[in-house]
Amino acid sequence: MALTLMKGSEAIAEAAIRAGARFFFGYPITPQTEIPEYMSARMPEVGGCFLQAESEVAAINMVYGAASTGARVITSSSSPGVSLKQEGISYCAGAQLPCVILNVMRGGPGLGSIQASQGDYNQAVKGGGNGDYHLITYAPSSIQEAINIFSFAFDKAEKYRVPVLFLADGIMAQMMEPVEMPEMVDFKVDPEKKPWAATGWKPGDDPAKRAVINSLYINTEELTVHNNELQATYREIEKNEVLYEAYLCEDADFVITAFGTVARIAKSAINELREQGIKVGLFRPITVWPFPYKELAEASRNAKALLDVEANEGQMLQDVKLAINGAKPVEYFGHCGSLMPTTDEIVAKILEMKEGK
Amino acid sequence: MKKVYVLIGNYGSGKTELALNFAFKAAEEGKRTELLDLDMVNTYFRLAERGKMTEMKEIRLVSPNFSCSGIETLSLPAEVASAFAMDWDTVVFDVGGDAVGSTALGRYHQDFMELEPGALEVLNVVNIRRPLAGTVEKIIRLQEEMEVHSRLKITGMINNTNLAEATGPAELRDGYEMIREVSERTGVPVLYTSGKKAMMDQFLSEGHDPKYIGTPLYIDTYMARDWNSWVRSLSE
Repeated sequence: MALTLMKGSEAIAEAAIRAGARFFFGYPITPQTEIPEYMSARMPEVGGCFLQAESEVAAINMVYGAASTGARVITSSSSPGVSLKQEGISYCAGAQLPCVILNVMRGGPGLGSIQASQGDYNQAVKGGGNGDYHLITYAPSSIQEAINIFSFAFDKAEKYRVPVLFLADGIMAQMMEPVEMPEMVDFKVDPEKKPWAATGWKPGDDPAKRAVINSLYINTEELTVHNNELQATYREIEKNEVLYEAYLCEDADFVITAFGTVARIAKSAINELREQGIKVGLFRPITVWPFPYKELAEASRNAKALLDVEANEGQMLQDVKLAINGAKPVEYFGHCGSLMPTTDEIVAKILEMKEGK
Repeated sequence: MKKVYVLIGNYGSGKTELALNFAFKAAEEGKRTELLDLDMVNTYFRLAERGKMTEMKEIRLVSPNFSCSGIETLSLPAEVASAFAMDWDTVVFDVGGDAVGSTALGRYHQDFMELEPGALEVLNVVNIRRPLAGTVEKIIRLQEEMEVHSRLKITGMINNTNLAEATGPAELRDGYEMIREVSERTGVPVLYTSGKKAMMDQFLSEGHDPKYIGTPLYIDTYMARDWNSWVRSLSE
């Protein structure tokens, strides 16, 4: 198949449609407005529904409604908009609704900036809304990878009945890369496979089989049972769904940990350092929840030290430290706001660590 | 005579890159050149980011108010009028993508109509590797929509088919075939084919009909982003 030159936003939108998404609800916000823009042109072509909601809060509640019917539904926003959605995301998690949420991160806190950032890591993986819940959270590092993940993201969401979150950033949404698109999936809601979904009930049907979509459990025992079920699901996900990339870690004296766009910058730095004969590797979580704790510990077993690089205050650093569990030094380099760590800065930091400063 | 180039086209087809190339070429020929950023759609790819470059080449650059300051207001400054009022040799308009982007031209309809006959070139920049310009039908539909929104007649097409850093010889060739059909069906001529030197020479040596090549434009890339350098390490 011929390659197409696509902007991250467009590619992500098209990939979602090809994976069977037929409902998009959202509200424009830079740097991801091209996603709703593309959806608004494309959804009518495939018989889907694009709806610009009056707010992010409305959009996520529309997702709740559409996902209740078993349809493949998606919403996208950027950091401040995703903050607004947190209540609805928690409701979706509570009601066990499969859906996909995209966060194209920009600088924060508050309105911050419109440039790329990674400041929402904690919000994404430590729970932005209330209650004990998790989202399968993918942090792709290229447009093609985002497309590839989309081809199974809905399947995972449906398998476990959990919302899936994509953690991208402004650079990935705005950059253009040649990509290859998968074929269109022929998705139809199958009531047999989704007995929980509200797909229609007529008089005479077994009342016990009526779909009730709900996240309210007033009775303490019932809520406990419900939470135990959720927790069991999360343990299953942790067991089965971890994705990561280990690049040149085998012989590395230093392992850099980074996710998303920053991991690409780190990779460039690693290549430069390797040319100088310094053995550096990259460990990149592709799922930031579930986090690859065991895999990171294993990949860095030969390393002297680790360097966590992020475009935030070091939010993933805590997970890296949990994985290493004090066995070796873990340092951090990065910037808050929207300033991206550069290749040169990472090279300098590793040289500094090497000289034991 | 003043020559006015208006670059419109599909979102991400390479208008800004070509605008810089048109302006630089004119300036190098000693022409008094003005370059105008009329993009009211995408705030991320601004000519002002290459402001130092244009200044060094003595090109006057007109940008939207507050561009690149982080508080885009998406409003055009009064200086756009200088394109029509002042005595330039070459004026290049870099316009926003798709029909929605070309809407910004409508406000200057009267000014464009008052230009001398033959002064105005309205060029549709086509990259068939972009998803919304990937078929003859899509290109024609977009062309018609842009004419309605811009209130201007498109006078020619530019074959600027590319895959950014991954561009190979097939790009210009496939672009040529498709744009040729668009030209045959709409009567809009192909005025330019643009590409980097190696690709272009290869393409020109293949013996295609010059009528659908137009003037070859050897271009350089100035708008490449720092993140382009990270792309390379990905494939390893």
